[in-house]
Amino acid sequence: MKTKIIFKYIIIFFLILPLFLMVGWSIASSWPWPVIIPREFTLRGFAYTLSTSTQGFIILLRSVILSLIVTLITLIISIPAARAIAFYNFRGKTLIKVLILLPLIVPILSVAMGIHLSFIRLGFANNYIGVILIHVIPGIPYGVKILLNIFEINGDKIEIQGRVLGATPLQVMRHITIPLLTPGLIIAGSIIYIISFSQYFITFLIGGGRIVTYSMMLFPFVESGDRTMASAISIIFILSIIIVLIISEKLVGNFYARSSKYYV
Amino acid sequence: MNKLKSKIKPYVMLLPVMIFIIGIFLTGIIFGLLQSFGYFPAVGLHTLTIKYYKEIIMNANFLSSLKFSFYISFVSSMLSVILGVFFSYVLIFNKKGNNGGLDGMYKLPIMVPHTIAALLIFMLFTQSGLISRVLYTLGIISEMKDFPPLVFDRRGFGIIFAYIWKGLPFITFVTYDILKNINNRYSKIASNLGANNLQIFWYVLLPLLMPTIASGFIIIFAFSFGAFEIPYLLGPSTPKAMPILSYIHYNSINLADRPYAMVMNMCITLCSFVLVGLYLWAFQFIKKYNN
Repeated sequence: MKTKIIFKYIIIFFLILPLFLMVGWSIASSWPWPVIIPREFTLRGFAYTLSTSTQGFIILLRSVILSLIVTLITLIISIPAARAIAFYNFRGKTLIKVLILLPLIVPILSVAMGIHLSFIRLGFANNYIGVILIHVIPGIPYGVKILLNIFEINGDKIEIQGRVLGATPLQVMRHITIPLLTPGLIIAGSIIYIISFSQYFITFLIGGGRIVTYSMMLFPFVESGDRTMASAISIIFILSIIIVLIISEKLVGNFYARSSKYYV
Repeated sequence: MNKLKSKIKPYVMLLPVMIFIIGIFLTGIIFGLLQSFGYFPAVGLHTLTIKYYKEIIMNANFLSSLKFSFYISFVSSMLSVILGVFFSYVLIFNKKGNNGGLDGMYKLPIMVPHTIAALLIFMLFTQSGLISRVLYTLGIISEMKDFPPLVFDRRGFGIIFAYIWKGLPFITFVTYDILKNINNRYSKIASNLGANNLQIFWYVLLPLLMPTIASGFIIIFAFSFGAFEIPYLLGPSTPKAMPILSYIHYNSINLADRPYAMVMNMCITLCSFVLVGLYLWAFQFIKKYNN
């Protein structure tokens, strides 16, 4: 029993320690080897990222909006797909299920390189349209699978009851389907948002370097080993994800808290 | 009329997702496949050939990259799975409400992107990194040079550490609830019948958890096998991981080099498919065996 607890803390320690190290580096201006605690402190990394003159803040804002759009599109197309798989039997169901889960296994890099030329021809490359389209792909398996689980657990009995009692299909959707789906939408949405916000390579390829997301702003600093800058940008990166997730959870939660009193 | 409508309805509902899956995902793979066989009209290549596959398979650079990528993905995924399941197992012994938030902290690395994971491993394991500083302070090493280079090294330690840091919590995350469930249901029965903790874990929990473990393994293996960021940021200049070699060929000024990139992409994709095939085959086999 004792050894188990020791192992547990060792693992937690190694998972968390690097994050503390990052906080240290983000405010260190002088931290020579072999000192364990930084000697001098600076806020240059945070100032650079959040100042309006370096575009850092604007890039961050644009990336947040980009990933929110990607999340919204992915959720909207995933809901009917998950419903169809949960409640209908049709030809080719297994094949379609496999196809939808396939982006989990096939690297997005091969897909992006294969489709790149067609995107250039269609005018989707080097602009936001192409980047949004390619960002949707890795989110689809998570979106459909998570919502499918929720549909399978809830079943469609409550919706049928609503219809029997005279609700229109739109009312059923607004007052039954979506409120029941909300927990799944929040989880799936969070995962899709994080995946999109973290993409570096496919944004770089399809955006042709012209679409600069926050991930792309971070990459050169990590590459060149500028620890102070890279750490500060990374901390804002993680905080921005947490803030966006908390706000959207609150917004979605509150919106449906009002309507949820009708069922239960 | 109504019957026809209800027959078509699921397809209509699936249409939006399938536009993305077929229009971008499958089309991308198929175009890549065609180019890997030398069909690339944009630069005037029209004939299907297996020349590029032949050349690539004979190429020493490619073979060492393939080996390197496979080794990195296999070792990091295997260790992530072993440690992740073990961590899951340790966590289920927690009493409810015991130290609240700390145990949940293990999920943090899941949401940290790979670029940042690379940065963290770099700051920890480079020769001027934290570990080297701690070892100096403890008097184990006396110079920066005494610390072995664990990043940008040919054995790929840095890459493996980064993937474990991301993969371990992911495996714990997907196995924890299921393991807890199985444990509640069967552990007491097994121990009542005289099994000790190790036997319970080995003969009861692990077999029941196997499908989840295997699919988790496939997801992290396939990801690390085809991802660009971590090997690019933490890897040695030779051998290069497959995705990087592929990108170099893709980005070459000579467009006629692109088929080589596509051949490599297809190899990466094929390896992932083989893995899924093995997974399905293994579980079919287990099912038959159980019946």
